[in-house]
Amino acid sequence: MGAAAGREIHDLEHERFLEEVHSFEFWFQSVEGYLAGTTYGHRTETADESPTGAVERQRLITVLSNYCIGEMAALEGASGLIAIAPNQLTKIFLSTQVADEGRHLEVLLHRMRELGVKHPAQEADRRASRSLKQFRAELLKLVQGRDWEAAIFAQNVILESLEFAVFRAHAEGADAITKEVLEGIIKDERRHIGFGENELGRRLHGAPHIRTRLTRVREELDHLVLSMLEDSSREIGVPPDQQGELARSYLQSVERLGFT
Amino acid sequence: MVDPLESSDDDPVQRRRFLLEDTGFDEVPARYRRFYRKWRGAGDQLAPNEAICPVCKVVIRSSRELWPGDRLYCMPCMSRLVVVEATDGRLEAHVSY
Repeated sequence: MGAAAGREIHDLEHERFLEEVHSFEFWFQSVEGYLAGTTYGHRTETADESPTGAVERQRLITVLSNYCIGEMAALEGASGLIAIAPNQLTKIFLSTQVADEGRHLEVLLHRMRELGVKHPAQEADRRASRSLKQFRAELLKLVQGRDWEAAIFAQNVILESLEFAVFRAHAEGADAITKEVLEGIIKDERRHIGFGENELGRRLHGAPHIRTRLTRVREELDHLVLSMLEDSSREIGVPPDQQGELARSYLQSVERLGFT
Repeated sequence: MVDPLESSDDDPVQRRRFLLEDTGFDEVPARYRRFYRKWRGAGDQLAPNEAICPVCKVVIRSSRELWPGDRLYCMPCMSRLVVVEATDGRLEAHVSY
């Protein structure tokens, strides 16, 4: 690819493009661009403007707790999916996603520690919302049931799109360190949501009958997603009149796949 | 094997060309960075060789002026896109699975 990179990237054959962006090498050189020089997801020289008021601090810890459980679900889900991935490219890509999710969990737990939480893993488990924990259980059931399309739909389309929308909204108003941590995660999430949407889009095109099963999965998860969105919006302080925008941002990828 | 990027450019002469420079986008390997940039929010405008990825909201850049039917790749989210003309005449990128 090196010699070709000086010319127009958009002229590549699709197969060659997929081979490149699913590769471990592509992932490694991508994350190096934005993680080099950071420690636990942020630069050491970034000013610590963490909330000093008890209420705001506790609210941030609860938000981070939910993020930790979401990332734990994605870590367990992505690692389990490698065994049932249909080909080598998707197995290799998922191995990079596992590394991303492990990093996310680590930096978020570390951020909680920076905010004074002594046992962040236990605290995250204690504070996380019931709907998120239930979603995690449902996702792992799909992975254990070896249902590739349904598990990718639940994890890389629903969960990752929800996280992408919430993290972007939160980063806008977060303290400097939390913002840097979230922005690094958002850059990883672009790959995860894109992988999910494109993988499912191709599969739905080739086997339309899958849609019926995925519609049922979506119906089963919808109430949990709605509840997670409401919880997240409230916790990160999204004004009520902007909560619809957050939901729309999440729903776009689901709608592009033809689920209305 | 012929490298697809080495194939001759058969675009009509009237299609404008653009010199792409690195804009500081750091989410893809260094050799691909000039093909992408961040959307700078309200007040930002797309150039004739740019389109927004509907999946991940990154701005995709081409060295050619974009025309309906052109193919674009969004490397940050691994999507293949096609340029289409919207009802208001603007060009936008749609995902092509």
